[in-house]
Amino acid sequence: MTDRRGSLELIGPVLALALAGIVGSTGFVDPALENEFKGALVSVAIVVALYVFVGNSGVVSFGHVSFVAVGAFAAGVMTVPVALKPTITPGLFAFLGEHSVGNLASLALAAVLGGLFALVVGIPLMRLSGLAAGIATFAVLGVTYNILNNWEKIGPGPLTLTTIPETTGLLQATIGAIAVVAVAFAYQRSRYGRKLRASREDPAAARAAGIDIHRERLWAFALSGALSGLAGGLLVHLAGTLQARDVYLDLTFLTLAMLVVGGVGSLWGAVVGALAVSALDSFLLRAESGEVGFVDDLLGKPLWGGSRLVGVALFMAVVLVFLPQGLTRGREFHLPRLGRRRAVAQESSA
Amino acid sequence: MTDDVQTLVDAVALGSIYALMAVGIGLVFGVLRLVNFAYGQLIMAGAYALALTNDQPVLLSIALCFAVVLALSLALELAAFRPLRRASPTTMLVATFAISYLLQSIALVKFGAIGKIVVVVPKLSEPVTIGGVHIRWITIMTIIVAVLVFAALMVLLTKTTIGLHMRAASIDPATARLLGVRANAVITAAVLVSGVIAAIVAVILPMAVPERLLVGPDFALRETIIVLVGVVVGGIDRLLSATLGGFTMGVAVGLLSGYLPSSGAWPFTSSVYLDSAVFMLVIIVLLIRPEGLFVRGRHAALERV
Amino acid sequence: MLEVSGLEVRYGTVPAVRDLDLSVGRGEIVGLIGPNGAGKSTTLHAIMGAVRPSAGDIRLAGSSIRGRAPEQVVRAGVALVPEGRRIFTELTVEENLRLGLAGRRSKDGSAEALERVYELFPVVHESRSRHAGLLSGGQQQQLAIGRALVGEPDVLLLDEPSLGLAPTVVDTVFGALLAIRAQGVTILLVEQRAQRTVALADRTYVMSNGELRMTLGPGDAGDSRRMVEAYFGSS
Repeated sequence: MTDRRGSLELIGPVLALALAGIVGSTGFVDPALENEFKGALVSVAIVVALYVFVGNSGVVSFGHVSFVAVGAFAAGVMTVPVALKPTITPGLFAFLGEHSVGNLASLALAAVLGGLFALVVGIPLMRLSGLAAGIATFAVLGVTYNILNNWEKIGPGPLTLTTIPETTGLLQATIGAIAVVAVAFAYQRSRYGRKLRASREDPAAARAAGIDIHRERLWAFALSGALSGLAGGLLVHLAGTLQARDVYLDLTFLTLAMLVVGGVGSLWGAVVGALAVSALDSFLLRAESGEVGFVDDLLGKPLWGGSRLVGVALFMAVVLVFLPQGLTRGREFHLPRLGRRRAVAQESSA
Repeated sequence: MTDDVQTLVDAVALGSIYALMAVGIGLVFGVLRLVNFAYGQLIMAGAYALALTNDQPVLLSIALCFAVVLALSLALELAAFRPLRRASPTTMLVATFAISYLLQSIALVKFGAIGKIVVVVPKLSEPVTIGGVHIRWITIMTIIVAVLVFAALMVLLTKTTIGLHMRAASIDPATARLLGVRANAVITAAVLVSGVIAAIVAVILPMAVPERLLVGPDFALRETIIVLVGVVVGGIDRLLSATLGGFTMGVAVGLLSGYLPSSGAWPFTSSVYLDSAVFMLVIIVLLIRPEGLFVRGRHAALERV
Repeated sequence: MLEVSGLEVRYGTVPAVRDLDLSVGRGEIVGLIGPNGAGKSTTLHAIMGAVRPSAGDIRLAGSSIRGRAPEQVVRAGVALVPEGRRIFTELTVEENLRLGLAGRRSKDGSAEALERVYELFPVVHESRSRHAGLLSGGQQQQLAIGRALVGEPDVLLLDEPSLGLAPTVVDTVFGALLAIRAQGVTILLVEQRAQRTVALADRTYVMSNGELRMTLGPGDAGDSRRMVEAYFGSS
């Protein structure tokens, strides 16, 4: 009973993402919007990957974009055509410079490297909690950015990596986001996920019940790292170009804020947050360029330039300050009528 | 030898600036348990105020800088920190992240991505030679100002009633309130003092650090990150340890950038990898002493945070 | 002077105090005893405004103080000596006392108020420039009481002031309470030491499980059957 009801919680996120995919691909909307739909779906993948650790463990990580960055750089560097590598990234190690792989292989590589990096980093770091954990993960981000931004043997260094195949189409973005959501859901329903969630609610009781918090956190961190790496791969194949600063502070802030805006405590919150912020972002962008009719009518002119940046930041700040539990208040998706009927049935049978 | 002295003095000056920022962040953390990531944007706002009044008399320009930073500090306290009083520390940190981003976005939209030059007192950037060592006036000034600020702060905290209330509120806010200490008054005072310090840093930073001659939307962001890290490594729970953490970080950065070569093929062989070295150091310190380097045996506070 | 009526406080869904009525007349010493978890401390915190009651009213000299913040309740004339003393051990003794001045309605007379506390507790005066953490338990308790008194409250609430103190020190503390009452301060004393409290107070309420069980007079202190009944609730 509980399990069947529980699996209904997956319907919301998956439908939302599938809908985004379908709407984005059909003629209902301006074809030019397709890129923004793809972007939103990749954001969902990153935010859900972040959620797998932060949401389930209750420990904040400011370093998750490190794994996105590793995935993005791995997928990017390994798919630039071999013939162009000597021009674009002349400093690469020979074995990196002389080989390239296909789209799917590069995504797999991104996930594996992201997961491995998280595992290695997590072994010592998962002993920390609270502010110390936050700062330590942030320090990991600092190191990752600094090295990716400078070391020309593994990437473009301070330059921009270009000519990356833009293989993240709408279908791939949709499937990727749904896959990340499904893995996140399966994890949180699994024995491991439940143990970790128990430790989030009450660490002392969880320890007393024999739960090895360090180990459970580490699994979640590594899984979350792998999903982040995959999402990074999707991201780089969407953009076609990559600089270290693309996967640094702004993305960290944006994805963390998306998660908190949606509600840190639930998978549904991660999805809602990513979609809501992306939607607002796209809307303001269009309004700025005078493509939203009613805004033009209302103001008599397009929204002034820069509204998008300020609007998104303001929206996030306002939600964070006045709705600290996020839009979903940390609840999972449920079908309202169905849920109530079942609850009543359960009560009367009890 | 003289080069060494020069590097050392520069490092101490940088440490002084970081220590000032650490105190500003630590003061607010003490009474609010809030890590203010947006502290750098207060400094940014002050620097913009200076840059936009380059043609005005210097005192007017500085006064304006103080006014802007204090007004912004007060606005943050009223519009954001106050509604967040009961939120979890993580939510608060992410919220100040959001505020930082908001202020950066506003600056970007209003003033553009290209930095504006900040001219305060050009004479201070000239060097003076003492025993064969060339030191810029601003370097000496920075150290003096920092010492004066710390002395004033000591007097405020130990000799005045509001200072006593601030100390009590950072040790045990619940008991302080039960004794009649007004939480809002104390917090507002801490936010304002922290703002004054941010304004001082805004005046000093463009002169003291050559890369900060231009003010852009991300002005003082790197400094804030390093100082935050230093504050936590030192021990954010105590003002003194937080300050020492910031100071140490500044001196370390100053010395490393003075001695490391400026290019190299492998990580950690040149000064471009300085940030990596600093962050690695931080991770190691946190692993060994999660409660902070300069705090003696108090786990509780950090755990709660 | 202080009247609590129909007070209810919940922690989540669990009621810690239910339908509590008690009153303390001007110049009285009123005791409040009962086993651990009876709701005594919660009652004091509700009066101070540190926890929010879900029902009932709290009146001071006739006007309601329910829903006010602690710093306002203190300014209205109520001071608390908290459980476990809650001395600021890193501050000096004098600084601890000066913190008590925060709750004064007027700054005039602060020096005299400090003087009176020093007179009442000479040991506090002797150690005024030392760190409060260096004081013994009994000295810290005297400091905590003195800290509440410098605000010159009308009503003094004490939460288990004898906790962890040696018997002779308890004598000193209880003796001080009489002296404080003589200065015109109304006292509500929460205690575990039932017998001594009943003997000292004009009236003593007995609480258990969040409810008022009975009221005892000073004469009951010698009646061991009544005392046992008060605690274990045989009727």
